[in-house]
Amino acid sequence: MSFFDILQILLQGAGYTLLITFSCAATALVVGLGIAMARELGGRWASAVLSALVYVLRGVPMLVLLFIVFFGLPGIGVDVPPLVAMMLSLGLISGAYLSEVFRGALAAVNSNEVLAAQSMGFTRFQTLRLIKIPQMLRFSVPGMVNELTTVLKYSPFAYTVGLPEITKQAMALVAMTMRGIEIYAAIGLIYFAIYRLLLGAVRLIEKHYAIPGFAQE
Amino acid sequence: MALLEVKDLVKSYGDRNVLDGVSFDLEEGEAKVVMGPSGCGKSTLLRCLNLLIEPTSGAILLDGNDITRPSADVRALRSRIGFVFQNFALYRHMSVLDNVTLALRRLKKLPKREAEERAMHELARMDMAEKSDAFPAALSGGQSQRVAIARALAMDPKVLFFDEPTSALDPIMVREVVTLINRLYLDNVTILCVTHDLGLAKHISDRVVFLHHGKVYAEDRIEELLHRDDPVLEDFFGGED
Repeated sequence: MSFFDILQILLQGAGYTLLITFSCAATALVVGLGIAMARELGGRWASAVLSALVYVLRGVPMLVLLFIVFFGLPGIGVDVPPLVAMMLSLGLISGAYLSEVFRGALAAVNSNEVLAAQSMGFTRFQTLRLIKIPQMLRFSVPGMVNELTTVLKYSPFAYTVGLPEITKQAMALVAMTMRGIEIYAAIGLIYFAIYRLLLGAVRLIEKHYAIPGFAQE
Repeated sequence: MALLEVKDLVKSYGDRNVLDGVSFDLEEGEAKVVMGPSGCGKSTLLRCLNLLIEPTSGAILLDGNDITRPSADVRALRSRIGFVFQNFALYRHMSVLDNVTLALRRLKKLPKREAEERAMHELARMDMAEKSDAFPAALSGGQSQRVAIARALAMDPKVLFFDEPTSALDPIMVREVVTLINRLYLDNVTILCVTHDLGLAKHISDRVVFLHHGKVYAEDRIEELLHRDDPVLEDFFGGED
């Protein structure tokens, strides 16, 4: 079996890796945005509760949360499919981190612009939607890229709940061929290629939405 | 009846009265300047007048309606008051045209075409029509201030508030903005302007409200204040005339 053959077999798992990465990243984006918005618009109590939730989620190991969701919840009668379990563990933890990225980016929005919007009669929600969020998302790009990369790198944990992503394929191949160095080097290359593709896509989006004359690079 | 009547306005933070019983009127078409030493409550006054800061007590009547009463529609009130900030406060992620049309479309609910026509009219009035596609980062301070004024004027406000409109500008741009505000003054736009700039006060105001320790210390024409034999006024104006 040549190195090219190994790559071809491993690439069959790449679709699952991408599916896991995008599903968890999308969950993280929704959770992160939801927490950041609720902190902005909610009262002091909502903010305190959400801060505590973020604090806890950031402290829990991803694999522990995955096992609680996938192996623990069936014990109380809730069966969770493997992909959903990944979204509820990796997606939630990543969302907690993203909410902190968004919190910092919101703080970077010029307070005078917010005051100007309010002085014209915009509601808090309109000010958030029209002035703060569009800038927040732009300021958050570096942090979002970091988090997307983290999600990609944590996606191999999906093999523990039976998803046939690249690492699981590799383990099966190693068991058959005993060519561990080549096979694990190959999946390293595949992960790096996926990372470069994602990074390229993000850079294109970033360039498209860049504010002319406003240095962010 | 005055367009804007301020009656015994008080704003307190704890035991400290930043505004301590401020009263004055602003007639339609009048331009009035609020001056006074740093920390005397000028900017707080301006923010209280469109309820960006909630006054502790007192009344503010716009067209005879007390806007401080609990049932007042604060958002409707704010859309009738144009506010030009010291640091321009342009939305930096939007083009000049979008800065001006945003409130027209979202608050006044004008169709895109109509909003853009009105925005271009106001930008042309401020000699900024050719910069409509530019973004704020590409504008000079004077140009930014002109866009900020166009944005405020596009809402067709009853009164225009200026908060230190020249303090962030260099002397050449100060002249440019003073000329523009003076043009508005001559067009009978009702103006209330907070400033330290004596030159601006001389060019645009009918009368000056002089604040000192949160109270109206004096209210008169600028020439009168400059020549009044009063240690507080002399100390502030520093013998300028």
